[in-house]
This record gives sequence, structure tokens and C-alpha cells, in this order.
Amino acid sequence: MGNCLCKDTQDELEPYSNRNHNAQIGNTVIPIANDTVAAGDAATASPTFRFPASANVDRLVLETLGVIGTLVDNEQEPPPAMLKLHAIADKEDGWIQVVSSMVNVIPMSDPLGPSVITLLLDDCPLPSKDSVLRLSQMFQLSQKFGNKVQTTATQQRNICVVLGCIADKLAGPSSIAILSDATLGYLVSNLRKDVDPYVVLFSLIGLEKFAQTSENKITIKKRLLAEKGNPLLELEKWVDSSHYIQRQVGFCARWCLDNLFLMEGRKYSHDTVDTTGINVMLNTKDVSEYLKISPNGLEARCDAYSFESVRCTHQVHSGIWYYETLIITPGVMQIGWATKDSTFLNHEGYGIGDDEFSLAYDGCRRLIWHNARSEAQHDRPCWKAGDIVGCLLDLVKMEIIFSINGFPLKPCTQVFKTARSGFFAAASFMSFQQCLFNFGNVPFKFPPTDRKYQKFNDHANLTAEDKVVLPRHIYLDQLRKLSVREDSCTLCFDQKATVRLLPCDHRGFCQTCSRQLIECPMCRATIKEVVPDNT
Amino acid sequence: MCWDALDLWRQGLIMADLPRRIIKETQRLMQEPVPGISAVPDDANARYFHVIVTGPEDSPFEGGLFKLELFLPEDYPMSAPKVRFITKIYHPNIDRLGRICLDILKDKWSPALQIRTVLLSIQALLSAPNPDDPLANDVAELWKINEGEAIRNAKEWTRRYAMDN
Repeated sequence: MGNCLCKDTQDELEPYSNRNHNAQIGNTVIPIANDTVAAGDAATASPTFRFPASANVDRLVLETLGVIGTLVDNEQEPPPAMLKLHAIADKEDGWIQVVSSMVNVIPMSDPLGPSVITLLLDDCPLPSKDSVLRLSQMFQLSQKFGNKVQTTATQQRNICVVLGCIADKLAGPSSIAILSDATLGYLVSNLRKDVDPYVVLFSLIGLEKFAQTSENKITIKKRLLAEKGNPLLELEKWVDSSHYIQRQVGFCARWCLDNLFLMEGRKYSHDTVDTTGINVMLNTKDVSEYLKISPNGLEARCDAYSFESVRCTHQVHSGIWYYETLIITPGVMQIGWATKDSTFLNHEGYGIGDDEFSLAYDGCRRLIWHNARSEAQHDRPCWKAGDIVGCLLDLVKMEIIFSINGFPLKPCTQVFKTARSGFFAAASFMSFQQCLFNFGNVPFKFPPTDRKYQKFNDHANLTAEDKVVLPRHIYLDQLRKLSVREDSCTLCFDQKATVRLLPCDHRGFCQTCSRQLIECPMCRATIKEVVPDNT
Repeated sequence: MCWDALDLWRQGLIMADLPRRIIKETQRLMQEPVPGISAVPDDANARYFHVIVTGPEDSPFEGGLFKLELFLPEDYPMSAPKVRFITKIYHPNIDRLGRICLDILKDKWSPALQIRTVLLSIQALLSAPNPDDPLANDVAELWKINEGEAIRNAKEWTRRYAMDN
């Protein structure tokens, strides 16, 4: 499960006054004077700069980071540390403290670091514009003093994650206000190959989040074009890199160039990609809305704050099947098998392995998932970038066996109680996670040796049209251009209006819609009869 | 009562073929926008709209720009859109999570209603708060016993949270 925390906690349902009351009792919030930042600064020659925060808040942030990986149930109470942080962040000063702490103490190496920043911010109250401006001033200050007091790459990465998250939450006028020249300059100046690739990655994602507000999108695009050679073009060259952080940068740069910051003269990737020999892809019509899919249909990435899922294009009903995924990011993904009946409730944090029609392995938390329940698999270490996860589906013996770099986990059978055929390869992704699928178009790294298996790629077919992974804005444009006939049903506009409702006599509806009605949509009169409309 | 709106709201949608009804409404919203209301579909999700409603004149919300999110569920228009305030607002029928208590979003929904009619109703709710059918209980309570203070609070919140530009 994707850890959608605190959506339904009692705390959130309390009225305003109670909530503030709690915050006062439960925590000591030391208000930050406006000048603390300046005081902490250039005069003291401390080697690394720290944004003002309290040790108490630092500890709570680290505590949350520590336990988040153990949270496996969406119904579970969020950890107390997280609730305390939410209460602190309920006040504007507290919010700034929480954010500063996160920037200071979330380490680069923790695979869940950026996700925890977004999870925490996601359930904090929205900051006022003033707080955000104060925060960005702080960030800019750190930059101004950049030569004297060093912010670490980790802090910079965290700042970028925070900026992206705020841009996403405050999409609209506030997002425009936050994207000042300095902020934009900072993010764009990070888009260089000699900057720490993690900082590059989250600067790019930050820009993407700001670009959700169209005015920002134009501003960013102008700025990128004003640079000497669009930096994205250079970063895009990393898309096939075997350095896995650079590879993520390449993926995101290319996605931005295809979807957000289009450049005149650059061809869309879907027009230039070579898909010869690829007969199975991730299905662009069977995916939750924010997952990014590469132009060859084999690599997927999530930068949204929801738990995004996808199925492949090929379904299997019998026999023994195997595919592999190359882990690019070591965070939470649930990779495995699902039937058509498995639903993607991305905003609720449910994905593959979270219903009775799917089963998945999460090598970050080392859990096998089925029906939203997990079973620990601690005999292998946590997965890391570069690992190969093998997914074997045996519909003869009725078992699923996952393997890490060729080491098999114990067979799973739970899913076969409800589903015995009709499986797709499927996976879910938490924020900032990415992996590459191999359905057999290139040789497997760790093919099963104990049984004869089949590859999707040998048995499937895709038309040239189905192989095109269209950027979503083009796809939506095509849909919006569809015209609608005048005599259409006034409810669905899909079918012709053919019926009349009795006794009220209202017309303009089709058979399909009228069958779903109890009352007339126009006058709310109870429908006694639906008759053909011959007038 | 309006307790389950947020849960429903969080149910995501899979990109499938978009119904013509949604395409048609989107086209019309773009071509003939409603005065005081902007509703823009998300670049990545045609069922998700970024909405801005201006506070009605002669209401405590005057001068404010209120951000909302609107989502069309799978069986829209047979069921109502999910709408939520993102900007904080002091209003007896809107709670701190932005959930709105409005009959046409619940049992009085009709598939003949549209995105534009829903947003107009929400704008009307800002002009005419109804403390007798409350969602934010403490706000409604104050609205009933001391309307003057409640209105001052509403103005203050509008100034603090809804005046960005």
C-alpha cells in the first residue's frame, strides 16, 4: 500500500478550535523571530549552514522517517511523531520550523526521504502565502551566502523537494508568487551535469510542479530557452545511463521536453523512438492518471504524490510466464501480477497487491502484498538500484515466485483463491520511483531454470498505432476536438436521444441513460414509464 | 450531512476514453466562461478541474479568490462531481478540510445539472451562508449567536487566505 496517511483520522475531523487547542498543549513551539536567519549566518563561520529549527522538531522528523517504512496498513493510525509534527505545523511559525527541520535532517541516502517530505507536507495545513514567502526568502538567503556558508547537496536536494511540493499544493496565484526570479534562477542553475545528480533531479521535478500553473510554465520555458542551449537537451542524453540517478534525470528531462517545455524544432520522442521488436508495453489506456511512461512503453516513473499503477498490454490465461524489472530507484514499488478486476485507487494509496485480484512484491519494505495485507520476506536485503526482480507466474502449479537477482523467494499462492486466469504484469509506484520492464524483447538476466516458461513478447502483438505512447496533452487535445451531434442525449452525448419520460413528458435522453434514472433529471418527477420519442 | 465527501473524492480515476459529456462541458466552459468563476481542466487528467471562484459582492468573502478542486467520478453525470475548497474559508457550510455541505452535491443531484451549475450554486452559497444546515459546527454556532463577529471572522479569513494578488 502506498501509505496515504491520516486521511481519516479523528484529529482531522475535529473542529477548528479544538485542533488549535491540542496544538498548544501537545507541543512547545518556539516562534522564530524574523531575523533568526540573518543571525545564523555569515558571521558565525560554521562549516555548514542550518536553517533555524529546534532539536525537538528534528527528532520528530527523523522518528517519522524511521517508522514510515514499517507502516503497512492504510487504516493504521499514523505514527505519533507525525501527528505531533502536523500539530506543530498547524501554526505558521511551526510550519516553517517543520520544513526547516526536514531540509536539515532528511539524509540523501534514505530511499524514502523525498517521499516522507511530501507525505508530511501533504497532511499539514496549507501555509499562508506569507509563510511561503518567508521560507523562500530563507532559501534564497542561503544562496546569497552560498560562498561563505555551505549548504550541503542534501539540503539543496531537500529544498528542491519542498519547493516542488509547495508548488503542487499551492498551484495558482501563490505558486506564481513563489516562483520569483531568484527561485527560478536557483532551480534552473541546478540543471547542469556538474551538479549533484540528485539535486538536478529534484530541481527538474520542482520545475515540473511549478509548471502546473500555466503562467509559470511559460516563464520557465522562456528561461530555459534563454539559457545557452536548453539544459534539458543535454540532460536528456542521460536517459539510457547505467548510473541510476543520472538515468532518472534523463527520463524526467525527456518527459519535460515532450510534455511541458516543448521546443520548436525538437521532434517528439514518440516520433523518433525505435519500437521494433517490442510486442508488449505498459498500457497507456490502463494506467492511473499521473504515471509517466517512456516512449518505448517499457519504463515507468511516478513523480506524483499518489500511488500510481499500470498493467501491461498482454493478458495470459494459462501456462507459465516470466518477466523481469530493473530497479532504478530503491523506494516503494509493488511489482507483480493483476487481473482486469484489480482496481487502481491511486489517491487512496491502493495499488497492485492491495485487492484480492493481484499479488505483488515490494523489495523496499520487503513485503509480499495481497488483498492489502502484507507478509514479511526478510530473507533478502532491501532492493537497490540495479537489482533485477524476476516475476514468475505458474498457472499449472498455481504459484507465483518472485526472485531478486536470481534468488527466489518462497512461492505465493494466495491470489489463486479468487483469480486463476487472466493475469497481466502490473506494478504500482510511490512518489519518485522508477523501473524498467523486460517482457522478453531482450534476453533475461536471471531466467528460471527449474521449469519451462514463456515470454510475453513471443506471444503478443501490437499495431503500429498501439505502440505510440502519446504525451497526454496531445491525447487530451485530440479528445477535446471531437464534435458532438445536435440530436445527442443531453446526459451522455454519446448516443442519440430516443426516449420520452412519462408522465412528465421530458425528452432528450437515450435508452442507456434513461435506464439508470429513477427521477426525471429536469423536473424530478418519478418516472412511471420510458417510451420511444417519435416527435 | 456531508461526512463521506472526502473519501469519495479521493477515489482516483483511470485514464480511459473520456465520455463526450465531459468533453462537451469542458469545451463550453472554455468558450463561454461563467462570470466570476474559472474552471480549467488539469493537463494530465481531464476529469480534474482547477477552479477559482471570486467572493461575491456584498458578502464577507468579497475581494477573495477561492481555489477549489472539482473531480468528475467514473459514473458522472449519474453521480455528482466531488468539489472541495482548497483555500481556507470561514463559512458555516464548509469545514476545515474544504468539504462543502450543499444538497445538489448529495441527494439533490440531478444528471441534468452541470459543472457550471454546481459552481454557480457554490458561489450562491457564499452569498447566503446557511448556519441551520452546518458542516463546520463551531462556525455555524457563532454565526447563529453572534452574526456580526462571525462575519468579521469571515472577512479576516478572506483577507488572510484568499487575497493573493
